[in-house]
Amino acid sequence: MEDKREIKAKKSQKKQVHLFYCVECEELARKVAAQSDLITLQSINWRNFADGWPNLYINSAHDIRGQHVAFLASFSSPGVIFEQISVIYALPRLFVASFTLVLPFFPTGSFERMEEEGDVATAFTMARILSNIPTSRGGPTSLVIYDIHALQERFYFSDHVLPLFETGIPLLKQRLHQLPDANNIVIAFPDDGAWKRFHKMLDHFPTVREGDKRIVRIKEGNPAGCHVVIVDDLVQSGGTLIECQKVLAAHGAAKVSAYVTHGVFPKGSWERFTLKNGENMENAFANFWITDSCPLTVKAIANKAPFEVLSLAGSIADALQI
Amino acid sequence: MKTPAAFISQKPPSPLFLKFTSNCNSRLLCANRSQTIQCGQIKSFENQPQKWSIDFKSGSEPIHLIQNSTSTAATSASESASRTMKKVCLFYCPETHSLAERVAAQSDAIELRSINWRKFKDGFPNLFIPNAHGIRGQHVAFLASFSSPGKIFEQLSVIYALPKLFVSSFTLVLPFFPTGTSERMEDEGDVATAFTLARILSNIPTSRGGPTSLVTFDIHALQERFYFGDTILPCFESAIPLLLNRLQQLPDSDNISIAFPDDGAWKRFHKQLQHFPMIVCNKVRDGNQRIVRIKEGDPRGRHIVIVDDLVQSGGTLIECQKVLAAHGAAKISAYVTHGIFPNASWERFKQDTGGKPESGLTYFWISDSCPVTVKEVMSKPPFEVLSLAGSIASALQI
Repeated sequence: MEDKREIKAKKSQKKQVHLFYCVECEELARKVAAQSDLITLQSINWRNFADGWPNLYINSAHDIRGQHVAFLASFSSPGVIFEQISVIYALPRLFVASFTLVLPFFPTGSFERMEEEGDVATAFTMARILSNIPTSRGGPTSLVIYDIHALQERFYFSDHVLPLFETGIPLLKQRLHQLPDANNIVIAFPDDGAWKRFHKMLDHFPTVREGDKRIVRIKEGNPAGCHVVIVDDLVQSGGTLIECQKVLAAHGAAKVSAYVTHGVFPKGSWERFTLKNGENMENAFANFWITDSCPLTVKAIANKAPFEVLSLAGSIADALQI
Repeated sequence: MKTPAAFISQKPPSPLFLKFTSNCNSRLLCANRSQTIQCGQIKSFENQPQKWSIDFKSGSEPIHLIQNSTSTAATSASESASRTMKKVCLFYCPETHSLAERVAAQSDAIELRSINWRKFKDGFPNLFIPNAHGIRGQHVAFLASFSSPGKIFEQLSVIYALPKLFVSSFTLVLPFFPTGTSERMEDEGDVATAFTLARILSNIPTSRGGPTSLVTFDIHALQERFYFGDTILPCFESAIPLLLNRLQQLPDSDNISIAFPDDGAWKRFHKQLQHFPMIVCNKVRDGNQRIVRIKEGDPRGRHIVIVDDLVQSGGTLIECQKVLAAHGAAKISAYVTHGIFPNASWERFKQDTGGKPESGLTYFWISDSCPVTVKEVMSKPPFEVLSLAGSIASALQI
């Protein structure tokens, strides 16, 4: 699927894009700009006044007139939202030709359930804030998000923004094809939600589906003797993955690896997965792939086995050409 | 140019009704006598001609709640009080809990409601509004405080959710509108965060009562009123009436002059303080230095009250104080509606216990718009907190 898109991008009109970014995303922004001559990095002065409120300045504001502009954002915690939103609301009004917001990980809502009147859907709050981005000369802002957690969240956005829902799965497929035991891979989904999200993209791999979260058991498929890769959109504490790994190992899986697009890992929970000396290898993950959608995690797990980062840079550079 | 009356409300504090919700020993200070009265002896203050102010001396709450009314508008409102009073369900954030309790104490028509403020492990809010069905068809209000950028998202989630719960109207009370106090739009790359906040608030969903009412006190830049779209109804209040009440109680109330640290403050407030002699200062910034001089007026022998909307580091006030003292002021006090005081800058302000106006203030009045500061300066002379509770309670009746 993505091969076709790549060819199309090369054939179609090429856009020069000016890419701004938040402090957390500097490394990813540099990787994106390195993908193509068409992408130029721009900078913002991120400072604070004494009272803690942001003191922001967009460098080269005049130079971006008539240009395609993008902003690479990361809302790793509520405290960093306001300063980025101030820039996001300001950029489209600087006579730019178009504005794209790349928000690889759309936070909130991964735990929340609307079960009762009185539950407050913070995912909806976030979507409202983003839907309120002013239009630019290029029309509604394009909003690029990877593997949004709840599929219905796509409907939370108003018609004033154009959400583009991307996925990190092609990066995983590419990586799996490189493995020596590529022929012995089985994909496992920890729950029905993950299966719904991803099975179509991975349909040429045999699959295993696990039951409801509370009692992890295998619903279908046979992992015996295979290298099983558990696939999900994100990981928080990692509890689900660990339970899955145990069940798969008990059913004879030769190796177990994991892939998530978003390594949220609050409070350093990634430590549960690092390989420690003398540890019983039966409970270890052979590989743990995450993308660089959560830059704070990427920094924390750098060079720590079994983690490996698959970069979204190429995918983002392509999306900027849409 | 006249400021339209609709924009600045000089509503005196709330109706003559008074309700004590906690058991405490209160000392009523009236004109020239002071008398200790136990709770429970007070039924109502209806039709009392004297001016009363109540000091809660129990615990550690020396907060001034002004309970009198001096205008005809309030008198006629209170006459038909039971008929026109709206019952209001008042929600609040953790920071504004104390102020919300004071507001609810002002009137039987205001009822406090709670929210469960928790966090998920990833740091994002986990919020629940208990008894959401119970507010259907009710007038609902939320008392917010954005003391730092990190506090916005969780409160905003509640603010966006409440109007959609079939309430009959929604009012957002944000006593202090932050951002924009230091920023200047001078260059095309400057980002106006005040505008960002106004956009975010203008995006509050409408309820059955129409656009949300937004109550804020002494907004810093007068032009910020234009940052709000038509989807929201800003109500720009002032806390100066609280100062007027307090000044009238002082023994030297006939020796008071008002000083403005700059033309901005004069523009904002001179009309509300017309019957006092005035002094206007000029502020000239030179890097980190602030050079202040008197532009007009004479402080000699007077008790000067420096009036401004807010204070940050306090540098401007201190320079004003020095200049006024050097020109013969007998006593100097200060008033700001919003005591921001980042990094505990309030510690610079010492009390003048007599005769040394160049090194201390007689009083430093702030309102309770910035609850984090109120906690820090309460019971610390020269600070005195004048509560917005009465004014907020009245605004909720609009």
